[in-house]
Amino acid sequence: MPLSYKNIEPLIISENNSFSKWLGYFGLGIGVLLLLVSMQMFVNIQQLLQENNPRKSGEYDFISISKTITNANMGKDNTFTASDLTALKNQPTIQGVAPLISNKFRVRATAGDIIPFSTDLFLESIDNNFIDTVPPTFTWQPGQMVVPIIFSSDFLEMYNVFAPAQGLPQLSPKTISSVNIILECSGPYGTQNFKGNIVALSDRINSLLVPKSFMNWSNFRFMQDTSVHASRVYIKTKDANDPKLISYLEQQNYHLNKEKIKFSRIKSILQNIVSALGVFGILVIALALMLFSFYLQLMIAKSKDNLRLLLTLGYSPNWLAKSVAKTWLPVYLTIIVGALILTEILHLLFMQLSFVNAAHLSFVLNWSVWLTAIFLLSLTLFINLSLVKKELKTIL
Amino acid sequence: MMQIELRKVTPDYIEKENWEASQIWEKTVTIHKGEHLHIVAPSGSGKTSLIHFIYGLRKDYSGSVLYDNTDIKKLSTESFSVFRQNKISIIFQDLRLFEDQTVKENIEIKRILDPYHKPEAITEMAKRLGIEKKLNQLAKKCSYGEQQRIAIIRALMQPFDFLLLDEPYSHLDDENRKKAMELIYEECEKRNAAMIFADLKALDFLKNEKIIYL
Repeated sequence: MPLSYKNIEPLIISENNSFSKWLGYFGLGIGVLLLLVSMQMFVNIQQLLQENNPRKSGEYDFISISKTITNANMGKDNTFTASDLTALKNQPTIQGVAPLISNKFRVRATAGDIIPFSTDLFLESIDNNFIDTVPPTFTWQPGQMVVPIIFSSDFLEMYNVFAPAQGLPQLSPKTISSVNIILECSGPYGTQNFKGNIVALSDRINSLLVPKSFMNWSNFRFMQDTSVHASRVYIKTKDANDPKLISYLEQQNYHLNKEKIKFSRIKSILQNIVSALGVFGILVIALALMLFSFYLQLMIAKSKDNLRLLLTLGYSPNWLAKSVAKTWLPVYLTIIVGALILTEILHLLFMQLSFVNAAHLSFVLNWSVWLTAIFLLSLTLFINLSLVKKELKTIL
Repeated sequence: MMQIELRKVTPDYIEKENWEASQIWEKTVTIHKGEHLHIVAPSGSGKTSLIHFIYGLRKDYSGSVLYDNTDIKKLSTESFSVFRQNKISIIFQDLRLFEDQTVKENIEIKRILDPYHKPEAITEMAKRLGIEKKLNQLAKKCSYGEQQRIAIIRALMQPFDFLLLDEPYSHLDDENRKKAMELIYEECEKRNAAMIFADLKALDFLKNEKIIYL
């Protein structure tokens, strides 16, 4: 019979007073489950709300600000000056600033023969890297008769609401690109017609965007004026909910569309709740490990004489410590694998929820959850081993 | 291991006038592998202490005990465990058995540590010492004499160069004492091991022992 822990196990493990042991297992299971589930949910929320958030691009938020119009400043110049823009750029919470430049000449749009529709329009342009959808065709050079336009998807939705009442056809995002729009640009220095072509829809910017090159050229062509008077500015920030940023904007009397940052707020509230749950899980794990270590100390104290005799007979203290610590490997493994399975089940159930777009989520648990599970297993084993070693030392 | 040397060993608790006449305390004694040493001393003179000093269980002495040339006070418990697995074996005066284990389990716990004998040897030796019927009985249900025989068989299960015996026959009758002694001799001869035997008086049936008075 080879040297095995099984032979000496009855000398060490006593089954009396195992209540604290079972309570320890139970607590550990609950704590690990809480931690793993909250980590997975944190990642889920992060991924879902990021996908649903058109303002976001990578780690940045793009939000539009304008000067607050009050009775006192009504009628005055409420556009952003160059020094306003520089002050914004210098804010540590702001990573980029881009003014929306609008047309100074008159633009009239007709939709040709298919849709009997004509209206005065406004056009705007902004740095391309502030736009969420920029197709390669979104360029314009002098002499080009077709002007690419990026259309706000909100405007399309609005159009589709009033179109039937006006006897106009409703348009899908696909068909809108085939609508021929004639842009009639006029000013004191001339008149010219262009063909407008909607090349993309933007969820982020509520406007009709044209390439910057067209805006500069046409403002000069029809008005001989290329000065920038932006009444709307887009800022690029890492966190639209940063209290420093919000208080700065309020101080400057800048208006920020609160509705637009609702997603971020919901996300941060949900993530705070989930994080609190995770912290609670860590606390429960710590308590369970403490309880379990009391049980371990009690057990070693009870089998002190037997352990001492084993050491006297020539059993190696290291081998004993490792063997005793290893006894709980299957238990810990079961607890952690069980928690992983339950987390996976809860994750799959979460994906079934009606408001969750499952296409954005992976069926497999996030790597951080796996890593945490492995870390917890190593941690419990390490704590066990060092505790047993310490207790054995007191016996020697 | 070739030798154990006791270099000026004196227990901390013994007064000078008590060790002056001793052939061991404060003297240098070397026991070589294969030798038989019989330490004779009345009770209370430190026999068990000496055996415990040699086995490394106690360190309350001055001088040094050397395994070959290593001072055992410097050995870690981990390296001591290796010596106890295959270099040095012991029969304690107070036996030190696992009371809630069977006789067989008590012996097996020692055998599996570094098996010198096959498992069948347990039954054979138990038969020779007349306790084969007790093998499946709990150790605490055995008489003191039977427990002494269990402790003897347990000590013989491992490889060793030195065997320490601390009054191993105190509760055995002459016949059983002789049987046990023969078994121990045989086992020591097989291993060419040294025997350090401590008892109250010189036993009549010992062979060629060097007798030392403590």
